[in-house]
Amino acid sequence: MTDARIAATAGSLERTGRRWWSGSAAASDRLFSALGLLSFVALWWLGSVTSDFVPPIGEVLDAVPSFLTEEDIYGDITDSLTRVVGSLAIAVLLGFWAAYLMARRGFWGLVVARYVDLAIGLPSTIAALLALFIFKRSEVGVFVVVTIACFPFVAITLRQGFLSLDRRLTEMGGVYRLGAVAQIRNVSIPHLVPYTLASVRNEYAHAWRVVVIAELFAVNSGIGWRFTQAYDRFLLVDVSLWLLVFISILLGTEYLILRPLERWVLRWREGKL
Amino acid sequence: MSIPFIDVEGLKVSYDGSRLVLDGVDMAVEENEFVAVLGPSGCGKSTLLQVLSGLLRPVAGRATIAGHDMTGSAAERPRVGYVFQDHRLLPWRTVAANIELVLEASGLPRSEWDARIDRYLDILQIGQFRDAWPMRLSGGQRQRVSIARALAIDPAVVLMDEPFSTLDEVTARTMRQQLVDLWQESSRAIVFVTHSIREAIFLADRIVILTRGPARLLEDVTVPIGRPRRYEDAEITELESEIVDRVMGVWGYEEQQPA
Repeated sequence: MTDARIAATAGSLERTGRRWWSGSAAASDRLFSALGLLSFVALWWLGSVTSDFVPPIGEVLDAVPSFLTEEDIYGDITDSLTRVVGSLAIAVLLGFWAAYLMARRGFWGLVVARYVDLAIGLPSTIAALLALFIFKRSEVGVFVVVTIACFPFVAITLRQGFLSLDRRLTEMGGVYRLGAVAQIRNVSIPHLVPYTLASVRNEYAHAWRVVVIAELFAVNSGIGWRFTQAYDRFLLVDVSLWLLVFISILLGTEYLILRPLERWVLRWREGKL
Repeated sequence: MSIPFIDVEGLKVSYDGSRLVLDGVDMAVEENEFVAVLGPSGCGKSTLLQVLSGLLRPVAGRATIAGHDMTGSAAERPRVGYVFQDHRLLPWRTVAANIELVLEASGLPRSEWDARIDRYLDILQIGQFRDAWPMRLSGGQRQRVSIARALAIDPAVVLMDEPFSTLDEVTARTMRQQLVDLWQESSRAIVFVTHSIREAIFLADRIVILTRGPARLLEDVTVPIGRPRRYEDAEITELESEIVDRVMGVWGYEEQQPA
C-alpha cells in the first residue's frame, strides 16, 4: 500500500471513528463532562441502594436549601479557603526560592533538593500529627502542614522552568542592551509564568485535600472540622452536603477562575508554532 | 590613513581558554558597505558577530566600530542591530511590543517609537501584524519582524547571522531582494554571515572568506557585478563556480582531518 493510500485510509478511519460524536472540541468536552457527571450520580444512586452508609440523592438534595441558609457554614468555608490560599501563596514563594537554588546546582541547591525530597516523601497525615505536637491546636499548624505538602511540588515544577530558560532570548537581550531588570521582567518572568500557573492549578486541589486532613487534627473550624463533627454524630446527610460543598468550591475555582485566568495569561501561545 | 568603520585585527577567540575558535581574523568594513562573511558550517562565523556585537570578549586582537572598542563598556559602544538565524522574538510580547522593548533599551525618545515601528513594519510589508503575537506569524513574517527590530533602533551597523537559512527558497529570495533594497535606501554597514556562496555574491559588495575552524582569513573577494542583480544571473553563477573551486580544497581537505 502506498504512503498516500495508507494516509487516506488512516484519515478515513479517523473520520469514521469520530463520526458518532464529531463536532467541535468544545461540544465534545461538554458531552464528556455531562457523561462524567451522570456516571457520578449513577454510582451515588447505586451506593445508596446497596449500603446504609450512603444517603439517597433525594434526601441530600432536599436538605440543601436549609443547609445553605445556615449562616455559620460560611464562616467555616471562609476559614478553609483562607488557609488554602494563604498556604498556597507561601508554598509558591518557598517553591520559587527552592527552585531557583536547585537550578543553580550549588551547595545550597543540593541542600534544598534534599529537603524537597524529604517533603515529597512525608505523608500529609503524619505532617498533620507532627504539626499538632509542635504547634498544638493552632492555626499556624494548619498553614505549616499545607505549605509543607505543596511547596516541594511547586519547587520541582518551577525548577524545570528555571532550567529551560531560553539562553538565546537572554543573548538577544544582551545584544540590544536590556538591563538586568528588563531581562527579568521581559524574559525570565514571562517564561516562568506557565510553570507557575501549572503548579498553582495542581497544588490548589492538593492543598484542599490536605487542609481537610489538617483541620481534622489541629483546629475547631473549617470544612475538615465540620466533616469530623458530622461523621462523629453519624449525620450522613451532613457529611454528603459538606462533600458537595468541597467539590463545588474545588471545581468552581478550577473552571471559573484558574482555567480562564490561565487561558488569558497564556493567550500568546495560541496559533502556529 | 583613516581607520575603517568596522576594524577587526588579529582577533582570537576561545570559549574554553585553550581551543581557539577564531585564530587571528582580520577584517575591515566601510561605513556604507555590505560585506558577507563566508565560511563552512561551524568555522566561527557566528562567533565573529558575537564579538562585534559585544557579547563575547576575544582572548587577543581587537574589534572596533566607528572607533569604539566593542569589548568595552556597553554605554560607550555604538548601537548594533542583530538578526539571528532564528527570530528570537519574545513570544509573549506582540510584534510592536517586541520592537518597543529594544527601542526603550536603546534610549530612543518614546515620541518616535510609533513612527519607527510603523515605518519598518510597512517597509517589510508586515504592517498588518503590528499587534499580532509572534507565534501566529509564519517563519518569514517573524524574520521580517526581527529585521524591523534590528533597523528600528537606528543602528550603526546591522549584523546578520544566516537569517534566511531556515526559510523556504521563495521566501528567502524575496527577503534577500528586500534586504538589498533596504540597505540601498539606508546606506548603513551590513555584515552578513552565510555559508551559501550564491547568497553572498547576490547580496554583498565584498566577501570575506574564512578557513575551516579555527577560522583565519582565507580570501577577501570584491564582487565585480553591478546592481541590480538577479539571483539567477550568469555572472553570479560564474563567480560562484570560481569561488567554489578556490575554497573546495581548503574547506574539503580539512573536513577529512580528525577533530
